[in-house]
Amino acid sequence: MEGADVDMSQEMLLKVSDIDVFYGGFQALWEVSIEVRTGEILALIGANASGKSTLLDTISGLMHPVKGRIEFAGEDISTLDPFNIVDLGISQVPEGRRIFPDMSVLENLIIGSYNRKARSQREQNLKVVYELFPILKARRKQMARTLSGGEQQMLVIGRGLMSDPTFLLLDEMSLGLAPIVLNGLYGALKAIREKGITILFVEQNVRRSLMEADRAYIMETGRVVLSGNVSDLREKEEVKKAYFGV
Amino acid sequence: MGFLSGLSSPIVMGLMLGGLYALIALGLSLVFGVMKLINVAHGDLVIFGSYFAYATMTIFGVDPILSLVVGMPLLFAIGFGIQKFLMSRAFKISMEAPLIIAFGISIILQNIFQIFWSPLSRGLTTSYALKFFALGPLRIPLVHLLNFVLALVVMFLLREFMRRTYLGRAINAASQDRRASLLMGINNERIYAFAFAIAMAIAALAGVCLGLTFPFTPVSGIPFLVVAFGVVVLGGLGSIKGTFIGGMVIGLAQTLGGHFLGTTAQMLVAYIIVLIILTMRPQGLFGR
Amino acid sequence: MKKVIPWLKQSSTFTLLAIIIVLAFLPVFGIPHTWLLYLFLFFSYLAMANMWNLLAGYCGLISLCQPAFLGLAGYTLVIFTWSGLPFYLGIIVGGIIAAAFAVVISVPVFRLKGIYFAVGTLIVPEILRIVFFLWKPVGGELHGGGAGYMLKGVTGLTLKENYWFALVIGIGSIIFVRSILRSKMGLAIAAIRDNDNTAASSGINVFGLKLYVFVISAFVTGIAGGIFFVYQGYIEPVSTFNVRWTMTLMIATVAGGMGTQGGPVIGTIIVVVLHFLLTRYEGISLLVQGLILVTVMLLAPRGILGSLRETRAYLAVRHLAMRISTRPS
Repeated sequence: MEGADVDMSQEMLLKVSDIDVFYGGFQALWEVSIEVRTGEILALIGANASGKSTLLDTISGLMHPVKGRIEFAGEDISTLDPFNIVDLGISQVPEGRRIFPDMSVLENLIIGSYNRKARSQREQNLKVVYELFPILKARRKQMARTLSGGEQQMLVIGRGLMSDPTFLLLDEMSLGLAPIVLNGLYGALKAIREKGITILFVEQNVRRSLMEADRAYIMETGRVVLSGNVSDLREKEEVKKAYFGV
Repeated sequence: MGFLSGLSSPIVMGLMLGGLYALIALGLSLVFGVMKLINVAHGDLVIFGSYFAYATMTIFGVDPILSLVVGMPLLFAIGFGIQKFLMSRAFKISMEAPLIIAFGISIILQNIFQIFWSPLSRGLTTSYALKFFALGPLRIPLVHLLNFVLALVVMFLLREFMRRTYLGRAINAASQDRRASLLMGINNERIYAFAFAIAMAIAALAGVCLGLTFPFTPVSGIPFLVVAFGVVVLGGLGSIKGTFIGGMVIGLAQTLGGHFLGTTAQMLVAYIIVLIILTMRPQGLFGR
Repeated sequence: MKKVIPWLKQSSTFTLLAIIIVLAFLPVFGIPHTWLLYLFLFFSYLAMANMWNLLAGYCGLISLCQPAFLGLAGYTLVIFTWSGLPFYLGIIVGGIIAAAFAVVISVPVFRLKGIYFAVGTLIVPEILRIVFFLWKPVGGELHGGGAGYMLKGVTGLTLKENYWFALVIGIGSIIFVRSILRSKMGLAIAAIRDNDNTAASSGINVFGLKLYVFVISAFVTGIAGGIFFVYQGYIEPVSTFNVRWTMTLMIATVAGGMGTQGGPVIGTIIVVVLHFLLTRYEGISLLVQGLILVTVMLLAPRGILGSLRETRAYLAVRHLAMRISTRPS
């Protein structure tokens, strides 16, 4: 199920070209370039402060590059506001399981479809989310803050799906979750990809990431240091030494 | 028994007054909950509602409650403008800027009131403002009941709005988690403007109720700001239910204090209570 | 004495002394009465503005409480002069009472942060206004509408003497702020201004420092208030515990430049000029002030001095000045 099966002639969904991004006074991203192909699951791997979350935030429009550009489906989105980017079909599931604590599960999901295009698809998307995560349907009337960590993560993923995206970004969804819960989540990601949604997830755990993705980028201190199909990456000496301690 | 029956009047009055206070505080609570901003011009904006109703009453002979048909949209638009053009810029400038600008707006309003209506106290005197209704042995002014009922109605409507409309849900979301709401496709800037506008529309209503109940002067904004602030802090930020209960508590405390200490001390009692609340429970009873 | 001589030799100190002497002799040389009045107001307001700048500009404490301090000092003066005690003692004790009051109210008020603090401090003068409306600290005649008092034993003073008192407290406040900012405390204040929490974790007693600044500002403001009321000759609650004072101080600091040493000086000049221009337009003076405050805050939030500092001309001049002053003599 690894890299060799990836169709190299897939079209490009997102192209980030040579961006510099500043956070406060200091530079967080240095000439970062990545490509995301339609229908793939892409991993963005790196330790803390490697810039991976900043890259995600920049794609989502929370930050803007001072140099370089970002293109989505051929359109330049480098300077757009976050709500415009959601309109275009990019949805980010932020890190930290940022549910709306004082709303019910259902209310959380409903607000996910706030964007105009998504509103008309609300009931269909809700069904899809309930199929992926049946526990959310069971707990739909409960206050979001009463859910367990894994359930909250399902909720934010579901909420992200409610905006009817074609491209889903996930920021460190595995933090603090047990392996068995993670298995379920990664399984859900595959199912989401089956529905035609391209996925980019950000992780610190190299080994797991290389198991679940088709391709990966590895980042360190604000730069992309390695990239390629996961099978190739697994064989590379640097990766083995740096991350697997071999 | 005689002691208790002597208390029944201030108790009932206090609860009714609480309704008015909750209504006044509701706008402040909404803005605070969504934008974490204490609008120090809030009291003066409520009084603007009172003066507007006064103007329509004296110039056109329109009943104050009827004048809300124009008053509420007017204040809605003013609120939208204040947030969109003044406050949103202020937030980007510094932490203190919104406070200073709100302070400036407050002073500007006070002076405008004084120019047009002089420092003399005014009141919305209508035929029904003088009527009483009987509750057992007590005679309660009708306007107090009106305030109380209106407070309940507005709170109910606001709660339903926040729960059932997309705009209301968005306001709710933005107040719980700014970043997450941005990622939902919510335009936070517009949401803030709407929240402020709604708060001002409620303030217009509160202003009319206030004017029907008490006489007001150009500087009446400050005492009611302090009371509203106390209500909001006591009830917990952004909680509608808390605002109502907070209003009751302060209203009761004030009437009971006035009962024991004399009417001139009433406002003083309210101030000291708010100060005590601030000292002991800045996070409120129901806050998040 | 050894330390004083090199200090005296510094050119800046010479200039300062020269300016002070000129200012002190102005009334002797016979300048018009109105000019003297405005200079009097300037130095009184300057002292208070410097304190507000220290609080709000440097420590981030937007205090709406200053009228309380100057009012309390004023009423202390009333008690003193009515009891036959000398007024200058009354001024000093007034400052002390204001400072003591600041300590007392710091208990509730300092538990509040940011905006809570501001509204908390708003309540205090309001409370005092009602208190002094109802409470008559000394018996006898009332002046004016509500619980006002004439000050006794100050009618012999001329504007000249009032001006000198104001000069003392005004210049004193400048020197005082300067010395605080240059000391270790100044570093701590700068740290707090950047970030409360990091400062605290570096071992700075944030609370203690803010409290100190709050109390000191109360003291100086109280003294300046006392000096003002000695000039005015009477005091009454409504105009004393009034937001107009706060407005004056806010404009002075914001327009001049919050968080700069020179800001309050420039701002107070603006305030006094405004006072002069608006004497005939009493009815709209607050409106104008409010508009100025909002406009300045939106367009030039760093005030005149702050914005000036960022212009190239200023930077060039400063660079030049530094090169000249560091040239070996």
